[in-house]
Amino acid sequence: MRLVVDGLTRSYGARRIFGPLSFEVRGGTVLGVSGSNGSGKTTLLKTLSGLIRPSAGSTKILLEGEEGAGSGPRDVPWCIGWVAPDLALYGELTAEENLDFFERVRGRASSRAKDLLAGVGLPESSYSKKSLSSLSTGQRQRVKLAYATLHDPAVLFLDEPSSNLDADGVEVVARVVASQRSRGIAIIASNDPRDLALADETLSL
Amino acid sequence: MSARAPAPLLGAALAVLRKDLLAEWRTRIAVNALFLFAFAVLVLVGYAVGPTRLAPEDRPTVNAVLLWIVIFFSAMTGLARVFVKEEEGGTAAALRLAAPPAAVLLGKYLVNIVLLFAVTAFIVPLFLVLTSFEIACPALFAVLLVLGCLGLAGASTFTAALVSKAAAKGALFAVLSIPLLLPPLIAAVSGTQVAAREADFSAGVDFVRVLVAYDGVVTTAAFALFDAVWRE
Repeated sequence: MRLVVDGLTRSYGARRIFGPLSFEVRGGTVLGVSGSNGSGKTTLLKTLSGLIRPSAGSTKILLEGEEGAGSGPRDVPWCIGWVAPDLALYGELTAEENLDFFERVRGRASSRAKDLLAGVGLPESSYSKKSLSSLSTGQRQRVKLAYATLHDPAVLFLDEPSSNLDADGVEVVARVVASQRSRGIAIIASNDPRDLALADETLSL
Repeated sequence: MSARAPAPLLGAALAVLRKDLLAEWRTRIAVNALFLFAFAVLVLVGYAVGPTRLAPEDRPTVNAVLLWIVIFFSAMTGLARVFVKEEEGGTAAALRLAAPPAAVLLGKYLVNIVLLFAVTAFIVPLFLVLTSFEIACPALFAVLLVLGCLGLAGASTFTAALVSKAAAKGALFAVLSIPLLLPPLIAAVSGTQVAAREADFSAGVDFVRVLVAYDGVVTTAAFALFDAVWRE
């Protein structure tokens, strides 16, 4: 599979945030995106994932065995995983109920929530019968990692994934990225050297 | 990694409905707002125009208007939350990436239908008792209530999606909703006046047709436009 970016630009009014950017990421690659605060790392990830529309240019996702022009991220949202500091899940629900919900809206019947939560270092005793809002910030970040990988996305976007995580949590991020490498593409936006060390290539903004 | 088809619409919509009702059950924010407003207005209406304060010939006209005012403003109080809470809580991005837009709209529409039907089931019996409002054709009255509530819920849900990213959500919701909801309200009020006076269902069938047409147009327009509203 491939992610092909062609002339991608995002501006707010006359102010250009980034671009034009053209690059290609192949399956099995982890791309790091670095840059100073305000350089447009988060905006780039949101544009690549289809959460915001580009001012110019395009992003195409070509899935395994798919020929032709590929699909824009908005056409294949089920191929995209997303973790970011401003992403929130439902605080009134438990961690397991959150993941169950996101499986159901994707049309999956069987729940892998407990396994995924265990995989990000959250045993059932740490979240059972507790609303998500009552968990610590680091625990919520782990739940977000489980949410992002719940549907085996082809492209996983991680915006500052190690923020609020302890040393064990940073290892969880490394495991998630390693697992994603075998499944598709991971793109990490961060200035944290621990995050960027996971990348095969780095794009500086 | 191969391409997967999007989730089936109804299953995903029911998941949204279940999630929102569960969250609402645990916080009771919209329910409290809807029911407390409805109760306060009912008490005021009962006090101001109780059974002895209106001439019998004026009751169908005045009570029909008051009933729909209570239902309308109760709807305005709580129904915008379905989308506003997603944007304010930061959960909208997660939902956008996971659920098909049509399933989100249908799920939120169903949530608002459940809430509005519940509050209407609370309002109507109390209103009829407090004001001694007699209905000559209960079948017509029931059909008007169902169709009126479907129209209110449909238009409110779509308007809530429109305003959810705006800064002045409350004011914008009212500004957009009131003109959009006037046609079904006029039909519902007029039909209710007929239902109070005439025992024959056919006397109010024109108002039923207006409400069916309105509900159909609003629902179709909402589904046609929602994709652009939700993703931008």
